[in-house]
Amino acid sequence: MDARAAGANPITTEILRNAFISIAEDMNAALIRSAYSPLIYEGKDCAVALLDQDGEVLGQSLGVPLFLGNLSLCVQTTAQMFGWDYFQEGDVIFLNDSYIAGTHLNDITVIQPIFWNGQRVGFASSRAHWMDVGGKDTSLSIDSTEIYQEGMRWAPTKVYARGEPRTEILDFLRRNSRFGGILIGDLHAQIAAGQTGEQRLRSLLDRFGLETVLAAKADIFAQSERMEREAVAAIPDGRYEAEGFLDNDGFSDDPVPVKLTVVVEGETVSLDLEGSAPQTRGSVNCGFTQTISAARLAFKLLINPARPVDGGTFHTLKVDAPLNSIFNAQEPAACAWYFSSLGLLIDLFLKAMAPAMPEHVAAAHYGDSMVISLNGIDARTDERYVVVEATTGGWGAWSSGDGQDSLINEVNGGFRDLPIEIFEHKYPARILKYGIRTDSGGAGQYRGGNGTFRRYQLTNDANLSLWFERSVTPAWGLSGGEAGAGPEVTIQSLDGKEECLLKVNAKPLKAGTIITIETGGGGGYGPASARTAEAVRHDLLDRFITPKHAERVYGYLPQSG
Amino acid sequence: MTSYRVSADIGGTFTDFVFEDGAGGTRIGKVPTTPQNPSRGVLDGLAAGPCSLDEIDFFVHGTTVGLNAFLERRGARTLLLMTAGISDSYTIARGHRTQLYKLHYRKPKQLVPRRDVHEIRERLAWNGAVIEPLNEDDLQAVVETVKAEGVPAIAICFLHAFSSPAHEQRAKEVLSKALPGVSISLSSDIAREWREYERASSVVMDAYVAPVVELYLKTLRAELDEAGMGKTIHVMRSSGGVMTDKIARDQPISTLLSGPVGGAIGCAQLAKDTGRRNLLGVDMGGTSFDLTLIVEGEPQLSTETELEGLPLLMSVVDIHTIGTGGGSIAWIEAGGLRVGPKSAGSQPGPACYGRGGTEPTVTDANFFLGRLAANSLLGGRMSLDLNAAGAAVAKLARPLGISDIDLAEGILAISNAKMADAMRTITVEKGIDPRSFTLIAYGGAGPMNAAELAYELDIREIMIPRFPGTFSAWGMLRSDIRSDFSASFFVQAEQVDPQAMQSAFAALESQGRLLLEQERVPNERMIFARYADLRYVGQEYALSIPLGTDTGVAQVITAFHAAHERRFGHAQPQNPVEFVNLRLAAIGELAPIRQSFVTAPQAGSAQIGDRNVIFAGQTVRAKIYSRALFTDQTRYFGPAVIEEESATTFVPPGYGFQLDDWGNIIIQKEA
Repeated sequence: MDARAAGANPITTEILRNAFISIAEDMNAALIRSAYSPLIYEGKDCAVALLDQDGEVLGQSLGVPLFLGNLSLCVQTTAQMFGWDYFQEGDVIFLNDSYIAGTHLNDITVIQPIFWNGQRVGFASSRAHWMDVGGKDTSLSIDSTEIYQEGMRWAPTKVYARGEPRTEILDFLRRNSRFGGILIGDLHAQIAAGQTGEQRLRSLLDRFGLETVLAAKADIFAQSERMEREAVAAIPDGRYEAEGFLDNDGFSDDPVPVKLTVVVEGETVSLDLEGSAPQTRGSVNCGFTQTISAARLAFKLLINPARPVDGGTFHTLKVDAPLNSIFNAQEPAACAWYFSSLGLLIDLFLKAMAPAMPEHVAAAHYGDSMVISLNGIDARTDERYVVVEATTGGWGAWSSGDGQDSLINEVNGGFRDLPIEIFEHKYPARILKYGIRTDSGGAGQYRGGNGTFRRYQLTNDANLSLWFERSVTPAWGLSGGEAGAGPEVTIQSLDGKEECLLKVNAKPLKAGTIITIETGGGGGYGPASARTAEAVRHDLLDRFITPKHAERVYGYLPQSG
Repeated sequence: MTSYRVSADIGGTFTDFVFEDGAGGTRIGKVPTTPQNPSRGVLDGLAAGPCSLDEIDFFVHGTTVGLNAFLERRGARTLLLMTAGISDSYTIARGHRTQLYKLHYRKPKQLVPRRDVHEIRERLAWNGAVIEPLNEDDLQAVVETVKAEGVPAIAICFLHAFSSPAHEQRAKEVLSKALPGVSISLSSDIAREWREYERASSVVMDAYVAPVVELYLKTLRAELDEAGMGKTIHVMRSSGGVMTDKIARDQPISTLLSGPVGGAIGCAQLAKDTGRRNLLGVDMGGTSFDLTLIVEGEPQLSTETELEGLPLLMSVVDIHTIGTGGGSIAWIEAGGLRVGPKSAGSQPGPACYGRGGTEPTVTDANFFLGRLAANSLLGGRMSLDLNAAGAAVAKLARPLGISDIDLAEGILAISNAKMADAMRTITVEKGIDPRSFTLIAYGGAGPMNAAELAYELDIREIMIPRFPGTFSAWGMLRSDIRSDFSASFFVQAEQVDPQAMQSAFAALESQGRLLLEQERVPNERMIFARYADLRYVGQEYALSIPLGTDTGVAQVITAFHAAHERRFGHAQPQNPVEFVNLRLAAIGELAPIRQSFVTAPQAGSAQIGDRNVIFAGQTVRAKIYSRALFTDQTRYFGPAVIEEESATTFVPPGYGFQLDDWGNIIIQKEA
């Protein structure tokens, strides 16, 4: 109460707090409702935020957790580049430069300043994944080595200036995408989302007045900050470290190290990525903005996960990454698969914090999106097709529970697997088997979740691309729990010859070829010897483990249960 | 002998009744629900009604028996049979997360554990062609298990069964011969639609609740027979129609969400009666808040819904539940005031119930501010405790440094704003602007907060129907007989053979006709409404487009583009379109019943007293009216409290109200 600013009362403050979150949800609904690309309206590969006049979050709504907090940073960076007066009433600004926005070029950030009575009072902002932004391959390249191969690159640019469309910019965008019409449609969906936010914020201001809204905002931020400071202060001070490796950068064969040091001191958490790999030739690099977002996501998993994010959040978190490293990449580093490094960063943060927050953390999960892509001509229709699938895997166990089997990775949001019935209708391939990979979860008092297997058989010739990760650093266990199994991909040709590989770009394969993908399991928690016979018996009944595994790992014989 | 039409809405706490005689007279009733054997409560309520059981000509009820069996996980142990090699689709459940920051995330718990999922060797191709024939030896193994372990229910979901149900049907034939008395459900009967996980989840739900629903319906039938009510029992469907108990036993899943649907049908009837096209129906009870939209006179139907995260492919009236109600608890976090999502429920309930609740709820705030009389619940059978409400409010006001009155009003303001926010988001998703809608408020707590809710949404007109506390039961009496059928019809729009489409519809229609004949619907009252599900190539979800018997393919496609424009704000006429499913609703129209508001002139005023009510920080003297005493269409003004048997309506200062020709209270803001 003492922190409360004059002019607001707890009731108005709470009404406005709920309203800000609700405005963000309305913006998200408007975006999803009017988007052209299924990636947005079905895959929910997007995020929106309502921001205050300084670019701080009032309310946000996310489809992709990895976008946490970076719309704010995009607005603030734009202001640093051009000054706050750059934003005029009726402007629509967009950007996708990986070194500014942080992610790959397909993610487009749109910013609309909101004015009320001639005064800039806030921003509506959104980010959405566009299907194609030019570049050497449709959608994402697996083997790009420079950003120029990945598509058009835009610094903050006005596509509407003072309410007037800049038709030459719109025309440029349309001409430089393989799906120009959809791209323009998605841009307008983002603008519609921003207009929804603008109208709603203005009507709140009409009703409550600027002074009350500002006072309530200060209260809301103060509440969030207070909750966060209390939670951080409760973490034992100390220096916490972890290190792991990506298999490679998709181009060379060398493992890519990720190293982090976390220092907790009173009410601050400092994360330093010193010791992580210099930016790589392959595309596992990202801009520093996105590194901050990933750190925030990792932090949020442990600190007040249920509390919505606003301008009072993340004041206790500091992030540093060396210039020209994979986490602070500079031109011309390729960034298409930026999220593989960030997924590892998040897992390592949890590992580092395990000694300090044993109840909150979990052992590592299978780690990456495990992408398989097929393209070619469907002989049934004579049409070109491309299918891109992410694959689920095992999650880590924690101090009181088993990890989940076959669940999508941390950095993904609204993902759902593609039903076999839809897959076989739409694409010239069959799915022979799909299931939970028995015995792949790390053993422990609490078992790591099992990974997933999926077996495809091509019915026409096709090109195969793969991006599988985490074989060098499979999901580790905690407190004596064991690591989960790593990923495996086997390609069996018609003559029965088998080939194992994890990453490949557009490999031509004959009809009849069988591809089996297996994703990793999650890490276990606590020593396997401490697992109850009852839990092992249930795992056997449900076939999550084989009798052999039960005996070898848990010393379990059928009569002992 | 007068003949009565009677409905019963069996809720979690109370069973509501509406009795209508043929002359326009309506009576309501409310008895405690008897969860152990809900038919007891039904009989109690009927016995307390204005008519003898043999005077009942038509009886319909909505039941939560199936839903409760699911919610409390009391359904039947079910074996799920799926195609060999892919049966984990069910356990994987598409692998998504619904809580993005939850490291210790758990998928929704499935009704069938993995140990009870059995693989059957068989395989169809995408177009229904047989790749591997059904292996009947595998079925024999299932027979052994079912016999040995006494399993009462089997669900079958084979891959691509929506293209060809032949293997599923053969499996059922084999199993039912070997296992008489075991309930067997087929995914191709529940939903002829693609997506194997969603279909498996749906057929499992059907099998899981089947024995419970069947037992309940049998018991009810037997007890009503014994009591002398020999007429057909009708059951409300989740899709908004009614069916006989016999059909309900074959399709137990379609009873699942039948409870709140009556309210939606009631709203649609009010739209028809009063000539309003667009209504927002809000049903506010103790723990939840249900929202229904009537757009252009029609309730909104979905072809898919979810219960506790488990998907169900079935036609269902779209009802959005928002977790705020009279029981929502106010609390303090980091120096800020919050309301909900935690609820006091019905046990202990709000502090003013005097059952041990000590935290202030929305109901406590309403009571504390004088909007609710101490004897206003359950027709005076329950008395509210003002001291308990006051103590709960004071407990929270003190640390916030505000007055008790400010806090109580604050609780209402926050909860109303939250509900309005949630309602606005739902309308934005559907591309609807609620400001031109009429708000219909019902349920025990709806009419109390209706005016303030409408204010938040910028809605100008509020309607409180007659008997708001039993409105869902009233709506059930307005329902047609209805059954929904679907067939997969997967083909690119330009390749549609109009002949094939016609014969597919004809096949659905003959199924529908058969069913309506079983319901003894005369030919002239049969309606067959056709729909086609279309989408742009590449989309996963489709839109249902209504069409007539002679609508051409080109017209359907044009209608699809227009519907896409309405729903999503844009259409792409240049993009290829595909057909996915054909649907048919077989409707048996009930004989129309003229319901008009008949008043017997009575002496005296409707005002029965006055009372202090606090509004906007001011104590105002509100007139208290008894709704039953309104006899004309005089215009009255707030502040006013209108009391009736099942609900209390609060009309704030600055609002006026009067009765319309149907007896609804229409509240409007004064200019």
